[in-house]
Amino acid sequence: MTDIPASNARHRESPIGGSRPPLLRDPVVLPGSSIGSMTDQICAITLRERAFLWWWIAMIPAMVLTGMLVAAILYLFYAGVGIWGIDWPVVWGFAIINYVWWIAIASGGTFISALFFLTKVEWRTSLNRIAETMTVFAAACAGIYPILHLGRPWLFYWLFPFPNTMTLWPQFRSPLLWDFFAIFTYVASSILFWYLGLIPDLATMRDRAEARRKQILYGVMALGFRGSDRQWRHYHVTYGVLAAIMAPLVISVHSIVGLDFAGAATVGWHSTEFPPFFVFGALLSGFAMVLLLVIPLRHLLSLEDFITGRHFDILCKMLLVSSLCLAYAYMMDAFTIFYGGDYADRTQFSGKISGSYAVVYWVTILLNVVLPQLMWFRRLRLNQTLIMLVCFGVIVGMWCERYTIVVMSLRRTHLASAWGDFHATFWDWATLFGTVGLFGLGILLCVRFLPVISMFEMRGLLQRRPREGENR
Amino acid sequence: MSSLSHQWRSLEQLAEDPDFVTRAVQEFPGLAEALASPHDRRRALKLMAAAITMAGLGGCDWAPEGTLISAVRAPSNIVPGLPNFYASANVLDGYATGVVVKHQMGRPIKVEGNPRHPASLGATDVFAQAQLLDFYDPDRAWAITVHGSPSDQSDLRTELAAQRAKIAESRGNGFRILTGAITSPTLTRQLDALLAIYPEARWIQWQAISRDNVAKGAVLAYGKPVELVLKLDAADVIFAIDSDLLSSAPGHLRFARDFASRRNPTRTQKMSRVYAVEPTPTLSGSVADHRFIAGPDELHMVVMALAAGILEGSALSGPPDWVGQVIADLTANHGRALVHVGPDQPPETHALVHAINEKLGARGNTLELIAPVAYPVEQAEELADLVKDMRTGKVSTLLIMDSNPAYAAPGGLSFAAALKRVDFSLTLTVLPNETSQATTWAVPMAHPWETWSDGRAFDGTATILQPQALPLYDPVSIHTMLALFTEPAPAAALDAVQATWKTRMGEDFEQGWRHALASGVVPGTANSKSDVTLRPDAGRQTPPEPANHPLTILFRPDPHLWDGRYANNAWLQELPRPLTKLTWDNPLLVAPERAEQLKLRNGDMICLSVGDASVTAPAWIMPGQAADCVVALLGFGEQHAGTVGSGAGFDFYPLAGRAGAPSLQKVSGHVVLACTDHHNLIFDETREYVRHATLAEYNKNPQALATGKPEPHLYRWKPKGPAAWAMSVDLNACIGCNACVVACQAENNIPVVGKEEVIREREMHWLRIDRYYEGSPIDPDSYFQPVLCMHCEEAPCETVCPVGATVHDSEGINVMVYNRCIGTRFCSNNCPYKVRRFNYFAFSHEEQRPPEARNPDVTVRGRGVMEKCSFCLQRIAEARIAADRENRPVGEVRTACQAACPTQAFTFGNMADPDSEVAKRKRSLLDYALLADQNTRPRVTYEARIRNPKPPNEGNGG
Repeated sequence: MTDIPASNARHRESPIGGSRPPLLRDPVVLPGSSIGSMTDQICAITLRERAFLWWWIAMIPAMVLTGMLVAAILYLFYAGVGIWGIDWPVVWGFAIINYVWWIAIASGGTFISALFFLTKVEWRTSLNRIAETMTVFAAACAGIYPILHLGRPWLFYWLFPFPNTMTLWPQFRSPLLWDFFAIFTYVASSILFWYLGLIPDLATMRDRAEARRKQILYGVMALGFRGSDRQWRHYHVTYGVLAAIMAPLVISVHSIVGLDFAGAATVGWHSTEFPPFFVFGALLSGFAMVLLLVIPLRHLLSLEDFITGRHFDILCKMLLVSSLCLAYAYMMDAFTIFYGGDYADRTQFSGKISGSYAVVYWVTILLNVVLPQLMWFRRLRLNQTLIMLVCFGVIVGMWCERYTIVVMSLRRTHLASAWGDFHATFWDWATLFGTVGLFGLGILLCVRFLPVISMFEMRGLLQRRPREGENR
Repeated sequence: MSSLSHQWRSLEQLAEDPDFVTRAVQEFPGLAEALASPHDRRRALKLMAAAITMAGLGGCDWAPEGTLISAVRAPSNIVPGLPNFYASANVLDGYATGVVVKHQMGRPIKVEGNPRHPASLGATDVFAQAQLLDFYDPDRAWAITVHGSPSDQSDLRTELAAQRAKIAESRGNGFRILTGAITSPTLTRQLDALLAIYPEARWIQWQAISRDNVAKGAVLAYGKPVELVLKLDAADVIFAIDSDLLSSAPGHLRFARDFASRRNPTRTQKMSRVYAVEPTPTLSGSVADHRFIAGPDELHMVVMALAAGILEGSALSGPPDWVGQVIADLTANHGRALVHVGPDQPPETHALVHAINEKLGARGNTLELIAPVAYPVEQAEELADLVKDMRTGKVSTLLIMDSNPAYAAPGGLSFAAALKRVDFSLTLTVLPNETSQATTWAVPMAHPWETWSDGRAFDGTATILQPQALPLYDPVSIHTMLALFTEPAPAAALDAVQATWKTRMGEDFEQGWRHALASGVVPGTANSKSDVTLRPDAGRQTPPEPANHPLTILFRPDPHLWDGRYANNAWLQELPRPLTKLTWDNPLLVAPERAEQLKLRNGDMICLSVGDASVTAPAWIMPGQAADCVVALLGFGEQHAGTVGSGAGFDFYPLAGRAGAPSLQKVSGHVVLACTDHHNLIFDETREYVRHATLAEYNKNPQALATGKPEPHLYRWKPKGPAAWAMSVDLNACIGCNACVVACQAENNIPVVGKEEVIREREMHWLRIDRYYEGSPIDPDSYFQPVLCMHCEEAPCETVCPVGATVHDSEGINVMVYNRCIGTRFCSNNCPYKVRRFNYFAFSHEEQRPPEARNPDVTVRGRGVMEKCSFCLQRIAEARIAADRENRPVGEVRTACQAACPTQAFTFGNMADPDSEVAKRKRSLLDYALLADQNTRPRVTYEARIRNPKPPNEGNGG
């Protein structure tokens, strides 16, 4: 508990001021904020004339990294995938690792906003905009990798089943094709869902904006939403339907990513466990990334009234649960390999846990399974520094997990003569960190120009509050 | 050039310019006759165009005026799209191996073995295959130079006229000719004629990889030179002492074929048994049933004990126990036994082995003696004498033809320094090299594919080498060059060769000549059996005791670069060496014990020194090498080999020929070597991949190694085509020689990727030979296994490709549609055999290789595309078209690997035809599928390897 006073001290220095630590018995929304004050506060962030200093400071690395991504991609298209570290046995490398990593992060956001919408969970309301924005940009980062991965990326559209003069169709037995469909669906519907959720808020922004250009901008984006009963009725139905579509997509997209691996007869991949295993991993990294975004934003944008101890408590519990699920999956991974008794599988596994790259595997276990166990303790679930560290660890750990799955399996294939190694090059890392920059850039732009909390849903919550009791 | 600088209107007009015609005719001898005959005008124009290009006009920025008409009437023997074949031979260190060169539209594109040639029997070695790349090498010498500055033919002829006068005056005193070993009857005739004119002149034959010991040993044993012709198919027991029997001995392709014919128990009545003793692993040792390691001291003891045991029936104390066993086995198989010793052992050992073979009744049964094929000389001594004469100023004129002594002469001789004392020196060479840099004159030599010549095989059979293409540059034939030293306007190479054979063939010359060209052999030219008798003291020879050094350097030719002449050949550079699987480099091979002692890992730098010379090079741990030996592979480290070979590897020639005890130290530094093998050296599950058993085990349970019943399937799609293409690979036959790998590379336009990319594991070979070790690292058993696309009936690659770029055809071939491939690489992930190769970069585009050297029937793959073995689909298509035209079922198809294989390890054909060879082999009791548990139903299967060690309970006398 030593760092709570410390963080308090920091809050006092913060220009935004008025910070309040999350407490154990916090309600979903702190008392004191009304519909009006909430709308004022959220709109003020977006409609500020000048951006916060911290925003500009954060933009610098994001822009630099995005620039590096663009350079890395241009060079990739010019020179070919040979600039990466992939080789004869390890034909898949960072592109696939990063893809799986990002798509997993993305799915956490959808899980929160869509699934918990359907189950009518109250605490979701403060988080869903941030979570969905995270989903959109993580999915966008994920979405570029499959194209970069291709040897001839300019022909990626051959994956579409479109009528063509060659009368050729894609090959429907390939998991990769279904993966392509799944991502395409997922990215498209994530953007739709996110945008649809924004419409009433955009209308609010339109109405509140004073500058003409902002009025026009938000007005166009609001698509003529005026808040009539009929519009609201249609809106709720559409939103509900989309949420109902999105919720299973979280599971399907990640199952299909898992099937990309499980569908191959490759050593270490050929396991029916993979689809649920990947979903567990996706949830874990999704919750971790939401926490990683929410904690600083809560401080920087003074959202303490809306993001409270209750949210931390719940998100950390979710983190813990998904970490336990993942631990189970790791156990089963080891179990099936030794239960199955295939020589190549065993060699691969022992190479994974004791070979030259064993450290990657053990870092995975440490960061994804061991560290999240701290979340068993209620007080630790409120320690923001610790949560940040654990979540960052999980994000790194999940990347290591994908590295283990992709590289460690391919380098120890069936025939010993085809064993090999993998050494990442500068361009591998440049592309990875480049997408981190792109993600950051997207989040920063959205924080600046779009409401960070779903105001119309929050209004509904605030309206219901007196009936449900203020000291819940 | 001045005569061409004025304006001209058309080629026709130019053809009437007498000045130009004289120049052009000088450079293109065929032009005069073409101009003379009016209906051959087309050819004349072509030659003229070439002459203009040569004269430097091609580079001008104005186009010729007038109308050019393409060759609408093609030469009668060329049908567009169909290949032509012309017989020739590949001559290495004097000995010819028959080849047939495949042409498309007049350009050589592939080398095949010549089935009629005794040294080939249809197979080739790696060198013959790689000849194609040498021929098209853009680094080839193309201009005459004096002290490195360009010169021309007329200057050369003026200078040679002066030399002729000088030499004639001194009756040849001070004139020396240095060549490699020569078997060419024409060249020998010319040299003899020259030596008759200039009696004081001397002709020195020398080659870096010496066979002196073999020749000297024969003289010691029989009193005069004889050569060996082995009959391994008749040998039941073979004892190979540090032998190059299967790798490089003259006739080795033939020997390998004969050897393999006795190695598969399902096809031979009685398996042969091979014992090998050697200081460092050779191919013969790798396939032996019993392999013993012996350093120089122990090897000496073994030879002495063997001689005592067989010749005198007495046992010596000291040598290891196994020698007694070998002696017993050899003597028990009188008339069916053979002992062979390699060229690195001293002459006395060779003499002893001759005596032993006579005693064992080998002569006439498992070997024959013939009159020598190569011109018998003592090369090392002759070279030493030459260098001494050069140093003392006795040599005024030195002609070096097709030899590179400035690089390859033993370092102790300092040839290059002595060369500076010679007034006039001239190198005739195909590729610029260290010697052509050091001599005053350097003249481009006609590549063997550009001129007429002849050569003889290991058994004496002669072959006429015919030109395969018009000369690419302006070279001088070796025959012309030699003749230029006696006469100003010598006969062309064709006339010189014909002159030789006119006297030999007699009246039937015209017919005999045509027949010799068509078949690639001159019939009846094999040397007759020699009737020499063994000298009584042959069996009493004593090989010199090895020097009492704790370390011995074994200088061995690199298996692919030989003495360094192939250093600029990228195929050979990148071909993984049979045992080490190294490419582009020649680290010092050290035994595991010594490596442990010096705490060496692969790639650690070590310094090897003898006397005052030393070379620092990386180390490579060689399992199965004698602890007191270090192997220095020759042929690398050239400085003037061309863009491919210059600076690759390390030059160990400077250490050769030096006295003193060698020493080895670890120095700081570590380099990464381009090895294609990345698994642990000793792999305990080898048996899963290379199934093997002893003959006794096989006899007890013949079915034990076969795959057995296929695993159950949910669904099976059966190709409905008329043929079912399949392959069987006999692991009993494979000797790991790599001929198939480079043949595949030539046939299928497979690019080389370079050392850096090999280090990054991106080599492109469609066919690789896996080498596994089993047993202890000190003395392991080694196993070879060629792995290519298995063409699985249930191909895992096909189901995962999202765009269907790899599919099955109706005849069961897993085909790759390059145009459709978008490069997801999922197919490679899903291939259990990892036989797919990916174009990470535009490897083919970056290759330094003219497009006309490629096989036009095979697509050249671009960047980002997956590729793999196609079962030589283009050859199948060719056979299918031929069959369709003749309205018959498709017949025999030979894949490139199969055609090149000296041991016939590969069998390819239509599995659906029960009488086909492949169907028969697949019914073999040894037939198994690699990774059968993956249930991929591969069309390529293997015949398990059976070894025939002497059973422990079998008493002496078998």
